[in-house]
Amino acid sequence: MALQEDNLWYKDAVIYQLHVRTFCDSNGDGIGDFVGLTQRLDYLQELGTNTIWLLPFYPSPLRDDGYDIADYTTVHPSYGTLDDFKAFLTAAHNRGLRVVIEMVMNHTSDQHPWFQEARSSRDNPKRDWYVWSDTDTKYQGVRIIFIDTELSNWTWDPVSKSYYWHRFFYHQPDLNFDNPEVFEAMWEITKFWLDMGVDGFRLDAVPYLVEREGTSCENLPETHAIIKEIRKRLDQFYPGRMLLAEANQWPADVRAYFGDGDEFHTAFHFPLMPRMFMAVKLEDRKPIIEILDQTPPIPANCQWCIFLRNHDELTLEMVTDIERDYMYDEYATDKTMRINLGIRRRLAPMMENDRRRIELLNGLLMSMPGTPIIYYGDEIGMGDNIYLGDRNGVRTPMQWNGGTNAGFSFADPERLYSPLISNSVYGYQVVNVDSQRRFGHSLLSWMKALIKTRNSYRVFSRGTMEFLRPSNHRVLAYIRELGNEKILVVNNLASSAQAVELDMQRYKGYIPIEMFGRNLFPRFGDLPYLLTLGPYQFYWFRLRRI
Amino acid sequence: MADETFLSDDLLRQLMSVGEVDLLVGILSHSSANTMRRAAHYVEKSLQQNFVRQRVAIISVEGGTVEDTRSDGDSSDGQPGSSFYSKGLSSLRTIHRITAGFSGTPSPGLALRTILSSSDLLRAKACAVVSPATSSMSPEWVANLLRPAFRDNFDFVAPLYSRHKFQGLLARNLLYPMTRALFGRRIRELYSDEWAFSSRLGTYCLNEDVWHEEPVRSRPEAWMGISAITSDFRCCQVYLGEKPSPPDGAGPDLVEVLRQTVGSLFWLLETHQQAWMERKGSEPVPTFGPEHAVTSEPMELNRTRMFEMFKTGVKELEPILETILSPETLLGIQSIAALDEHSFRFGADLWVTVLYEFAASYHHSVINRDHLVQALVPLYRGKIYSFIAEYADASAADMEEASENLCLEFERQKPYLTEKWKAGVEVKS
Repeated sequence: MALQEDNLWYKDAVIYQLHVRTFCDSNGDGIGDFVGLTQRLDYLQELGTNTIWLLPFYPSPLRDDGYDIADYTTVHPSYGTLDDFKAFLTAAHNRGLRVVIEMVMNHTSDQHPWFQEARSSRDNPKRDWYVWSDTDTKYQGVRIIFIDTELSNWTWDPVSKSYYWHRFFYHQPDLNFDNPEVFEAMWEITKFWLDMGVDGFRLDAVPYLVEREGTSCENLPETHAIIKEIRKRLDQFYPGRMLLAEANQWPADVRAYFGDGDEFHTAFHFPLMPRMFMAVKLEDRKPIIEILDQTPPIPANCQWCIFLRNHDELTLEMVTDIERDYMYDEYATDKTMRINLGIRRRLAPMMENDRRRIELLNGLLMSMPGTPIIYYGDEIGMGDNIYLGDRNGVRTPMQWNGGTNAGFSFADPERLYSPLISNSVYGYQVVNVDSQRRFGHSLLSWMKALIKTRNSYRVFSRGTMEFLRPSNHRVLAYIRELGNEKILVVNNLASSAQAVELDMQRYKGYIPIEMFGRNLFPRFGDLPYLLTLGPYQFYWFRLRRI
Repeated sequence: MADETFLSDDLLRQLMSVGEVDLLVGILSHSSANTMRRAAHYVEKSLQQNFVRQRVAIISVEGGTVEDTRSDGDSSDGQPGSSFYSKGLSSLRTIHRITAGFSGTPSPGLALRTILSSSDLLRAKACAVVSPATSSMSPEWVANLLRPAFRDNFDFVAPLYSRHKFQGLLARNLLYPMTRALFGRRIRELYSDEWAFSSRLGTYCLNEDVWHEEPVRSRPEAWMGISAITSDFRCCQVYLGEKPSPPDGAGPDLVEVLRQTVGSLFWLLETHQQAWMERKGSEPVPTFGPEHAVTSEPMELNRTRMFEMFKTGVKELEPILETILSPETLLGIQSIAALDEHSFRFGADLWVTVLYEFAASYHHSVINRDHLVQALVPLYRGKIYSFIAEYADASAADMEEASENLCLEFERQKPYLTEKWKAGVEVKS
């Protein structure tokens, strides 16, 4: 299957996020690699996803899961070679799967040769590639992001006897984008991968590229200017490639990263994610409606990316203090589950392995406006290990089968980069791809059906959304519409059965067809349309005028 | 069990949409749309700020509506968007608004019954009732009322107010000391526009077959409070703040007030006869918040007219008073009515005796009960005239002492009431 020619392909994407290290080990060294990943591409195709987002695979001291890059133009030896990557990319494209990779522009590892040169002397030509100061008092008041580990955004460099600026870990010095050489160097790296054929980049830590005194050093106009320049060159030389922004900000602030359709193609909708969890726990649609009501419109060629879980903690930065406390109390009662301002847990354990809630959340993910992202393993309900430190508990090996090392590797178990999940509820003997492939009612089979249904109707990826606001606040209902395609989505957020009356006057005469069973429901008339829903049940109806 | 057919289909539909709640606040409305809006705003603000995680609903029982000032996306201050960019308090959940109209003749009792039924169906753990007529109400009032019932397992929460020393005179001179002496609990404001209760007490009261009784229709809060006391529910008081009197002419006249309050109290003595007869002395109830206080700024009162109405009443109602009061008591009344304005005093002992004899006569139905209560009006005026004269220059401490002494007098004479209550009655023609 060849890639479809469509520059807006990212709008119709269903993205599968994975780390090469976690997916499949082909050479028995206990670490996943590109050859292994290539062997598993059929699975991603079978699942119905059409885009792969790879976490960083570059050479790195791996003190921040690869986001501390020491060399941007090759592959970490543990994951294979550049040729292995090229083979993987070709194989993915041959299956109609696009590949999005990470580009960390804000900072490098302190082991990167650029930084090693920069710190070697104050006269080194690379010195100005980073942000230095003789004091640690510049940019006072700028928030510290990793509050659990960092006390300051400045760290003393004993080699060059001055402070360097870093918004993340102390071993990740920020690049100085006021120096045009830095920008050109990053563009060269970008070109390197574009020439190879990658379909897009997730740009890490975008808001922090530029620093200015007296500001929060976030979302500055100079940062936007840099993005615009990248986009301009991308459109000029590599049309059809995509930029995805990681900007953990409020929707109105993220909106600026779409520009006039001339910055990012897509951006994560961070505030929506915790509110989906909150809404299900509160059994109230208010959090979701509030945040989407406050999400500004975006240019026609842009798209939000939405997700439930990812490789990081479930971030609670974009919630109020009260909402954060509530999330902690409800989803992270054990303080070990908390890290920074978030929760380091996977989807299934957060839902107490309640299949109905897992399905409901995935149903929301697949039916709300935006490009959905599935975090590897969540499609089979993998568990986590909160005792592994940092966020490694949600980065354990993929569980392929119930055999040795869950089918992930043939290395000795002790050699695996991470212990497997092996408890009696989420262990690989119970939760794995092979066993779920065997049954039509497994979570994996259900996810396939869900994704297939979504992929069958472009209205999900490109249509408008309008909330219905029935008086029952435990029911979240909305209409997705694109031309003649009309879909009614009704979600019961509550753990108990609910009745809801929907005002469908505007669609009088339409017949709702339940999309999974394809059964006809009674035609909409003058009266409010009464539906009953079981606990956490949801309906997708295609509305047809027949 | 609640009589579910009592509720209209429309209300049931609204309740069905709300589902289950933790807290319910009822607004008893007989006011203008503006005061309703203000009350609803305060209630909502209070819930937003103090019960951010709880499932809450506001029910307005009236002819008008609680105007839906907010949509899902609006913040508490009505500025869309601001709640997310501020760290202010804001409810996590939807605050449900329910509007219930009267299905019969409007009355506070019918309104309370509607609230109790709704609370029962919504399985609210605690419920507060507020009145839009209270101009000094603040968001904190609602929270202060709800907290003891919701968090501290109290069943009945009565308010305490700051008042001017010459306001709330009926409560100070009659309702509080008499209910305290007879029912044994020191709850100062059983007759009030604001109170709260637990689901236990709510369900208990809902199931009582009293809703057709006039005293319950007119002053349901007193009946609920007395029911809580006599059935040993956990009671407390909570300080709310200043409670100004309604402006002149805004409230019902004195005759109607006494008919509702004293009439209701006498009726409660009958319906809870066994309970009050068995109780001796009185006990304080837990009280939350600062000490309630009286204020004593200068205040203009037309006392001369009050005194004249007392004297005229004693004279004109003599035949009626003869049927109600004992000869000694009537003589006492007539003696002080003969005094001039400056030397007039209506002593606590005589006042208590008068009230107890009125109560006993009410019990024995010596005359039409409505007429009996109306006959108390001029005597009450005399008592208040005397009270104002006596305490014109009194401090807050003096007032408190006087109030306590009056209560003790009611307690001291309680055996007299019991005796009169049980005694046969001579009905004079």
